[in-house]
Amino acid sequence: MSDSHETYLLVLGWNFRGASGPVRDRVAFTAEEVREGLRRLLGRGLVSESVIVSTCHRSEIYGVAEGEGVGEELTRFISDWRGLEPDVLERAAFRRFGAEAARHLFRVAAGLDSMALGESEVLGQVRQALAIARETGSSRAVLHRLFESAVRAGKRVRTETEIGVHPLSIASIGVELANKVFGELSERTVLLLGAGETGTLFARHVLEAGVRHLKIANRTPEHAEHLAARVGAVAVPWDSVSLELPSADVVVGTTASPRPVVQRDDVEAAMRQRKGRPMFFLDLTLPPDIDPDVRGIYNVFAYDLDGLEEVAAENRRRRVKEVPRVEEILEEEIERFLAWFGNLSVIPTLTHLKRRFEEIRDRELERLAPAERERLRPLADSIVAKLLHEPLRRLKNEPDAARKLERLEAVRHLFDLDRD
Amino acid sequence: MHSLGWIAVILYAAAEALAIRSLFRPKGLGAAPALVAAGLVAQFADLELVGRSLGSVPYRTLGGSIELFAWMLGLAYLALVLRHRERAIGPFLIPFVLAFSVLGILLPSHAPSGPATRGSLFAFHVTLAILADAAFALSFVLSLLYLIQNRQIRRGRTGVLFSRLPALEVIGRMNRTSVTIGIVVLAVSVALGVAWARRVWSGFTDAKLVWALLTLFVYGVMLWMDRRGWEGSRVALLSIFGFILVLFSYTFVNLYLSQAHVFR
Repeated sequence: MSDSHETYLLVLGWNFRGASGPVRDRVAFTAEEVREGLRRLLGRGLVSESVIVSTCHRSEIYGVAEGEGVGEELTRFISDWRGLEPDVLERAAFRRFGAEAARHLFRVAAGLDSMALGESEVLGQVRQALAIARETGSSRAVLHRLFESAVRAGKRVRTETEIGVHPLSIASIGVELANKVFGELSERTVLLLGAGETGTLFARHVLEAGVRHLKIANRTPEHAEHLAARVGAVAVPWDSVSLELPSADVVVGTTASPRPVVQRDDVEAAMRQRKGRPMFFLDLTLPPDIDPDVRGIYNVFAYDLDGLEEVAAENRRRRVKEVPRVEEILEEEIERFLAWFGNLSVIPTLTHLKRRFEEIRDRELERLAPAERERLRPLADSIVAKLLHEPLRRLKNEPDAARKLERLEAVRHLFDLDRD
Repeated sequence: MHSLGWIAVILYAAAEALAIRSLFRPKGLGAAPALVAAGLVAQFADLELVGRSLGSVPYRTLGGSIELFAWMLGLAYLALVLRHRERAIGPFLIPFVLAFSVLGILLPSHAPSGPATRGSLFAFHVTLAILADAAFALSFVLSLLYLIQNRQIRRGRTGVLFSRLPALEVIGRMNRTSVTIGIVVLAVSVALGVAWARRVWSGFTDAKLVWALLTLFVYGVMLWMDRRGWEGSRVALLSIFGFILVLFSYTFVNLYLSQAHVFR
């Protein structure tokens, strides 16, 4: 049997490891561009299936094709489409085939290939990529199965390991610590000092984390008002920061002030008014905005930049420690996928099918008396051969890889070939 | 005797092992609550059998009262798990259930005789006293957890304990509820006890009564100071002190200071 129509999985991609920012920018696709790209790819007949994963750190084109030469053609296609020199693209790109391509997607979905090790956003992006491809009709049996398997593996990694549990960014660490003091931050008041770059980022972060009462104070009041209006917070006058303290559960310092903005005396007075209810201070700048001595006050929790960075480093180590467990899970899932994929190559399925038919023939012949058996054997052989002939021919010669795989899968199902 | 009690002990031990194991899993409660529930059923049956053989409630004896105490603690654990999906408390609370179950089974159970230990007023008095002690024991465990979590947060240790233990606010709230229940129930128990004592002993003062009032006072101070600036680790320490008083009342006062008013 010829295997001229054997199917290959491949991925061609550019990520933060190999491709510079400008190259990545040129190959980053919006959802609309992804749709267009998928249509063009299939239109050119380069691949029989395709999914494009495009995020800020990576653009990857997954395809099912006949033969490995497709990689270069794909690069040329992208170069034509995005107007980039082929050799620039080529140098920045990576390519994987077969099992390695599958393994790559599994690692991406699990966050192992991300800049922030173990981050979970990429899992949603992988799922999104599959959704777009399905809509466009460019993902079929193989990529569909591949992406669903990768997403399932990614979910298992989330629930069975701690790779995504410990936050890496200073802001999320601060929010996590505050959460462990107050339980819920949604009903708590956060007072943000400073409306610069750090302040803006932090404001966005806490609002995303569910904070509903955010007050912003800035030495230049217009900046506080501007930021407050943009993110839906309240601006408070700079001079009244100490008056705001008693009602603030969380205070975050992000100003460039050379001397502390919040003094120990102010905090002591605030704690008296709060009847000892805990206060939480985050200092995200150097020199500190918050007098380090506040830490000595009962029920005051205070963290400076150094402390938070230590936690971040520790959390990164924790994530790295989880990688072997993540890889174990991925290998299990990859193996499952590859077993399925391997079954779909033509030769094993056909051999299998033939054997199943012959088993039936032999079983029926067994029931006959020996003389009868010998007499009928040629007839039985001929029936089996004729029954097999047309299906085998059609399966072997199906030019469309995805359709061939769907049919192979159907055959395996209908004749129960995966039983043993 | 007590074979059901021992089955309960084995179930609790298995639950403890699973509860510890589930701490190291990112998600899921595991089978610990189910095992504790099974243990509670077995232990209830055991108490029932003991009660029948004594011809009265089992908690008239020291062993029986401690076993009932363990049973109520187990019930409190189950309530916390089911209501708050709170799995971090299990590994710390189940050992108490386990230890008191074993103690309750091993301690002798001579049934005291006499009219002083019959009647529903008496039964309520003892049951409520044991319930109050269970509430205080729960508060003790919660206070330990509070102190542990407080330390983890202050030191920026964001490891397994940090992520599994609830927020300080949540532990504090559960603690408050637990102590409030303990105080109310103990106060009712003391009132019933005094009324009962008047009837059978025609009035008395007793070391155990004094001790119970002291316990009420300490926990009362704890709740009061919780709203007066001591919320947090100080209140947790007070609760731990309160539970030491409870244990002292159960052991030393019960055995040496009190005369008629004892579990034997």
